[in-house]
Amino acid sequence: MKKTVLVLSLIAFTSVLFAQTKKTTSATVAFDATTAIDALPKAENKTVIAEIDTKTGQIGFEAAVKNFTFTNPTIQAHFNEERWLSSDKFPAFTFMGKISDVTKYNFSKNGVYNVTVTGQLTIKDKTNNVTTPATIEVKNGTLVANASFTIVLADYGIQVGTAGKIAGEPKITVSAELK
Amino acid sequence: MTVKSANKKSWIKKALIAILFIVLLGGGAYWYIMNETFDDTASSESAYTVTAQELINVYQTNDSVANATYREQIITVQGRVTEVEAADTTVNIKFTDPVTGSYLIFDFQSQHVADAKVVQAGDSVAIKGSCSGNIYSQLRKAHMISFKRSVLVNKF
Repeated sequence: MKKTVLVLSLIAFTSVLFAQTKKTTSATVAFDATTAIDALPKAENKTVIAEIDTKTGQIGFEAAVKNFTFTNPTIQAHFNEERWLSSDKFPAFTFMGKISDVTKYNFSKNGVYNVTVTGQLTIKDKTNNVTTPATIEVKNGTLVANASFTIVLADYGIQVGTAGKIAGEPKITVSAELK
Repeated sequence: MTVKSANKKSWIKKALIAILFIVLLGGGAYWYIMNETFDDTASSESAYTVTAQELINVYQTNDSVANATYREQIITVQGRVTEVEAADTTVNIKFTDPVTGSYLIFDFQSQHVADAKVVQAGDSVAIKGSCSGNIYSQLRKAHMISFKRSVLVNKF
């Protein structure tokens, strides 16, 4: 009985270690639209779903818009209202993409890999292409992925106005530990 | 000084005081809004107390009805933790339906992260947080119901 449990545990452990698709439900996406005159429009969401298929290079991220947390309640309310993200109507951000030239990388081997990710980001039902450099660190079967890029809010139908309080091209920072 | 001139000066004085009052009031309101922060969830009243599986079931049955009831409400959820997942420098706590894979996930308020870090899978806990509603994940083919600014109420 003990042997059976041990063998099953080993199988479970090795299948996680060498799984082709690495996953997490706790990736972090930070959004920074601060300007010289307003330091408040920035937030992060630590409950983002992320998956990377290490063989095909397919990448997916899904985030609940309403789970972005700001320090300021009024700014958070504005972020979710119809004029901005309209989170009641469009509850999720999604990114579906691919690691370019994935066959160049051996993600079963420990190391730091500098990759390029291309894909489609959907916000408020509007989809645009995104290409960004990213780093993937492999450590004993776990992937730690980091990327940073800017988006143009107008491309997603979001107008920031002329007051200069919100950056029209906010910085998006992504970090994920995938197992 | 004529009566007319004195009246004019008095009117200007009143107008200046009124403008100053409006500017101070506006400035005060602006300062208040800009420096406002969320209350500590530990001191917030729960609108509902439910078990984790009950809440997942409600969302799986009809997420529109569930969102109308629970979204943007402070809710206390009781259940057995299925996973504690690293999230940057913090942790998230999850309750997962073993049949469908749908789950509740709690992100903790910064001053309460240390309490969450001592929780382990299998622990029975009560957690209070602000419900952000659900999304249906195309990647996981399951509902994610997320909470922000959470706090561990107790560990049984």
